[in-house]
Amino acid sequence: MTLNEAAVGKEYVIESVHTEDAEMDAFLFSLGCYSGEPITVIAHRAGGPIVAIKDSRYSIDRSLAGAIVI
Amino acid sequence: MRIALSGNPNSGKTTMYNALTGSSEKVGNWAGVTVDKNERPVKRAFYTGDERLIAVDLPGAYSMSPFTGEESITRDYVRGESPDVIVNIVDSTNLGRSLFFTTQLLELGIPTVVALNKSDLNRKQRTSLDPNRLSELLGCPVLSTVSTSQEGFLELVSVAMSLKGKEQRAPFVAKEIDPSDPDAVRAEDRRRFAFVNSIVREVEQKSHRASEFSLSDRIDLLLTGRGVGILFFSLVMFLVFQISQVWVGGPIADLLVGFLEQGQEAVRGVLSTAHPLLVALLVDGVIGGVIAVLGFLPLVMVMYFLIALLEDCGYLSRVAVVLDPIFKKVGLSGKSVIPFVISVGCAVPGIMASRTIKDERERRAAAMLAPFMPCGAKIPVIALFAGAFFDGAGWVSTVTYLSGILLIFLGALLVNRVTGNYKKRSYFIIEMPAYKFPSIWGATKSMFSRGKSYVVKAATVILLCNTVVQIMQSFTLAFAVAETADASILAAVAKPFSYLFYPLVGVLSWQLAAATLTGFIAKENVVGTLAVCFVGLENLIDTEELVLLEGSGAEAAGIFAITKVAALAYLMFNLYSPPCFAALGAMNAEVKSAKWFWGGVGLQLGVGYTVSYLVYTIGTLIISPETLNVPAALLGLAAVFAMAAVVLTVIRRGDLAREMQAK
Repeated sequence: MTLNEAAVGKEYVIESVHTEDAEMDAFLFSLGCYSGEPITVIAHRAGGPIVAIKDSRYSIDRSLAGAIVI
Repeated sequence: MRIALSGNPNSGKTTMYNALTGSSEKVGNWAGVTVDKNERPVKRAFYTGDERLIAVDLPGAYSMSPFTGEESITRDYVRGESPDVIVNIVDSTNLGRSLFFTTQLLELGIPTVVALNKSDLNRKQRTSLDPNRLSELLGCPVLSTVSTSQEGFLELVSVAMSLKGKEQRAPFVAKEIDPSDPDAVRAEDRRRFAFVNSIVREVEQKSHRASEFSLSDRIDLLLTGRGVGILFFSLVMFLVFQISQVWVGGPIADLLVGFLEQGQEAVRGVLSTAHPLLVALLVDGVIGGVIAVLGFLPLVMVMYFLIALLEDCGYLSRVAVVLDPIFKKVGLSGKSVIPFVISVGCAVPGIMASRTIKDERERRAAAMLAPFMPCGAKIPVIALFAGAFFDGAGWVSTVTYLSGILLIFLGALLVNRVTGNYKKRSYFIIEMPAYKFPSIWGATKSMFSRGKSYVVKAATVILLCNTVVQIMQSFTLAFAVAETADASILAAVAKPFSYLFYPLVGVLSWQLAAATLTGFIAKENVVGTLAVCFVGLENLIDTEELVLLEGSGAEAAGIFAITKVAALAYLMFNLYSPPCFAALGAMNAEVKSAKWFWGGVGLQLGVGYTVSYLVYTIGTLIISPETLNVPAALLGLAAVFAMAAVVLTVIRRGDLAREMQAK
């Protein structure tokens, strides 16, 4: 499943990140968002989830959340 | 020697730089506040010795492979300019992410010292780091600092200075790989992150998990909700305007104007024996024009104070989240929100803030649309017209800001249509920094620094412009004293332009044309020039009031009247036509394309003209149709149609080109 379907507050392991945009993939990587790393959805909002990666919070939209498979 | 401050975005580099050098560069609680390199000597209080120490503040970066424009400035600087020492500022609440960039910096061979910044937040969250062990593992000195209270700065500077000329060994050395092979690069980066993770495990002791639901999250749950979020943002912006223009700024401005006018009269008294022309030039023209602008200083300063508070508390990234779905509908994203909000203060930093937008088309659109947000320099213009024609009604200001927002949306749609960009998928990601209590001291400093530049501008550019305008108005082309202002150089120069304004205000007025023209140098000039042309502005009045004055010398020289609707239309033209030259320069720098730049200027000119024309013509037809100047209205209609035809041609040509490409 993707981040859009993730349960709130549960720690998942990222399986793959495929945004079809190499630079975006690399950017997410530099934040620590890549396969094998943990990720937690803090809340689902209208535009997309708020996620915790390492020690930071990010708000991402649904299309990006859909590209992150957990 | 030069020390370069580098590290992840929002780790406190600029706060440190400001403290070290005594600068007042913009700071804020979101990722990507600094978009350019700044450098200045470090204050002597922080070090001893003969050699001058220069600090270089760089935009934040997550890694050496830049994602956005400002990150590449950092990469290019540390790679190409070889600073003597790198101070790597690490957000100690986010060690796991920060050290990735740190290990890349250490590979450059430039001596580096790591500053574990925001260490006070770690103490609060009961997270402990072992700087000594971290120093051993990284192979460079590691110190704890707090940028906001300057804790650890003396030691940091002395350690940084002692490193000059030393060698730096890298704890993690990347293998020789082919940089064009993405898989090899990724595998190497994975090894790097694994190395970083092993360090973090060794030096960091956390009392709680970072993914736990915090107070900040609770606030976000409320403020990023669709309905409440938008409502709250509207309330915040309303309060910013209400406090700065009515509750606090207004009364102070009244006091200031009274005080300044006393000064003006005192000067008039001193010059009582001088030539009347000189008195008119100096007292009414030059001084009067500057007072007209300076009088609005309190409004502008209070506004800057409030905006600084907003920027500092971390709320702006939440606004970006709330507005992202709405902005997506017009081809922008939440990332554009920050340039627009900053433009409420000044369009120059607003336009520069668009640099953090990754998508090129969106970045250019944001840069050319940001000036539609009325900036601080336009406050005097708005307040002048609200005061002279609408009894100072608050709705005038509200309408101008709401129209600005509406025009941004419409403009974005138009840019979309012209560039034919509908389907392209775009992603949105923004860091949500933890909220913090905004620094009152920081906001005060920002307010005074911006206020100072406003006064300096009034005393230089605007004073100069007023003097030139006053002289041009006092003499004829033959350089004889002008009997009436209509015979002056200013009238001759501005007259041709007044035909452009004919459809917008219904009368031919070279004064209004001149004011708008000087407004391109600085928007405050609109007020200054009107003050010069209509001495003290008392003579710029509403047509209906003119009727009341009839018989009591209404035909006296200098009295000039337009209708309320025309005043609103003229105000809107000044607000939504191209911004001042400084903002145009910033726009040119960000769009990086002559085609886009001139397209943007054309868009602003077209939008300003069309809006102003529609407001005047439709407004007049509704309120008092008999006063509509029909030839002027028809002329304007022709102009608007001509502009629409140009836009349609551009759109059609673009569509055809894209069709050809698709084939």
